[in-house]
Amino acid sequence: MQKLVYRFSKGERFVHWVHGVAFLLLLFTGLGVLTIAIQPAMNIFGGIQVTRNIHRVVAVLFTIGMIIGFVGRGEGARQMRRWFKDVISFGKDDFAHAKNFGIEFFGGHKPFPPQGKFNGGEKLNSMITILGTLCIVISGYIIWFAPSIPQWIVQWAYPIHSACALFMGALLIAHLYLGLLHPDSNQALKGIFNGWVPAKFAYEHYEKWYNEEAKETIKE
Amino acid sequence: MTTRKMVFIDTSLCTGCKACSVACKAWNDLPAEKTQLLTSYQAQGDFTPNTWTYVRFREEYKDQKMHWNMIKVQCFHCADPACLKACPSKAIYKTESGYTLIDREKCIGCGYCGQNCPWNVPKTDTKINKTSKCTGCIDRVENGLKPACAQTCQPEAIKFGDYDKMMPIAEARLAELQLTNPKANLYGNQWMGGTTYLYLLQDRPDAYGLHPNPSTPIALTIWKDLVHPLGGIAIGASAAAIACGVIANFVRGNYANRAKNIAESHDEGGH
Repeated sequence: MQKLVYRFSKGERFVHWVHGVAFLLLLFTGLGVLTIAIQPAMNIFGGIQVTRNIHRVVAVLFTIGMIIGFVGRGEGARQMRRWFKDVISFGKDDFAHAKNFGIEFFGGHKPFPPQGKFNGGEKLNSMITILGTLCIVISGYIIWFAPSIPQWIVQWAYPIHSACALFMGALLIAHLYLGLLHPDSNQALKGIFNGWVPAKFAYEHYEKWYNEEAKETIKE
Repeated sequence: MTTRKMVFIDTSLCTGCKACSVACKAWNDLPAEKTQLLTSYQAQGDFTPNTWTYVRFREEYKDQKMHWNMIKVQCFHCADPACLKACPSKAIYKTESGYTLIDREKCIGCGYCGQNCPWNVPKTDTKINKTSKCTGCIDRVENGLKPACAQTCQPEAIKFGDYDKMMPIAEARLAELQLTNPKANLYGNQWMGGTTYLYLLQDRPDAYGLHPNPSTPIALTIWKDLVHPLGGIAIGASAAAIACGVIANFVRGNYANRAKNIAESHDEGGH
């Protein structure tokens, strides 16, 4: 059997999937409202008005999912807070990893300094996701409650909401590729379902994290 | 051929009788709404899904004299409307007569039009998810009649006709009024590509509660002309990149190597 190490706690996996599934639903229903070309597809939900309500309900779940992951004293919440702290501390080693992103993306390889639990590329992806999520959530509620908000703020909420949706959608496509189709990085795929990733993969991609933490969790 | 029309509203002739708003309700079959007196003469404060025109009254005191500014307001029917640009359902369209209309079948009631209108005219009924505003009485006009408000106006403060014929009338009336009223000005022809409803004002626009410098919101231009095309390009580029990524990995033999490595690591585990 392959040796495994523990990478993602239940809390982290829960937040990832609430965020991911909700985002996909929000993107699809949102595009139905935004684009007349996609609007007819909304009949699968029972029409555009049902779709608009689904968008609102899922938006609330998206918001709650984002917040509750960080709250409490459990292992999951602790790891979520750790993720946030890791992500905002972007150093020289992270940059050294992230600058090779293009090479790795297209199947090449270049050595990089030992990485922590989250490598430079992941940190960038996380930063964009955190910032994009905040902006899309805030602008979304502004659009939802537009009549009680100053008009110029509402006017700016529209392009911000669209920009976050479209650019995060573009990022999601690349994220799906790295998770599902990329022959090197998709070894981590099981980690986001059951928490465990191959030890060899962890050593190769997150040497610092492997030596300092992951090694202790090793199992067959 | 339908010609471009104009409704010319001469505020210097308006007596504030509000018959225009009543005629609008009557012709368009709009229910009366409960209102409250806001100022000495005004009970209607804003447009609603069922109130498409109303008269605004403003009292200004200057040099011991009261100026009573009254103005009938409704959709301006811009030549280049911001609402049309904002509508994601393509429910808003222009007619040859110069009218800006909402197709109720296509309207989904999102309200983006009203939020982007410089005068905040279109109003959304959130119960039925439809947005409404003045139709310029297109049904009357296309059948050779005047709009209901113009038809009913006793002092003939609301005049209706072809744009090309009405413009000289408006300019002549402006020149006439300026003799006694130097602040008089025309409001509408210089905004939003030129509006179908043109006003002759006796004072500066904000004395009537009108936007002094209406324009298409910058945020709307950025949204539709920048964010949307760039966002589409980003999604397309991302999809193209992953297609290239799969091909590159395949050509470099990374998929084959990976299968081999997994098989090997399983073998090692077996020992």
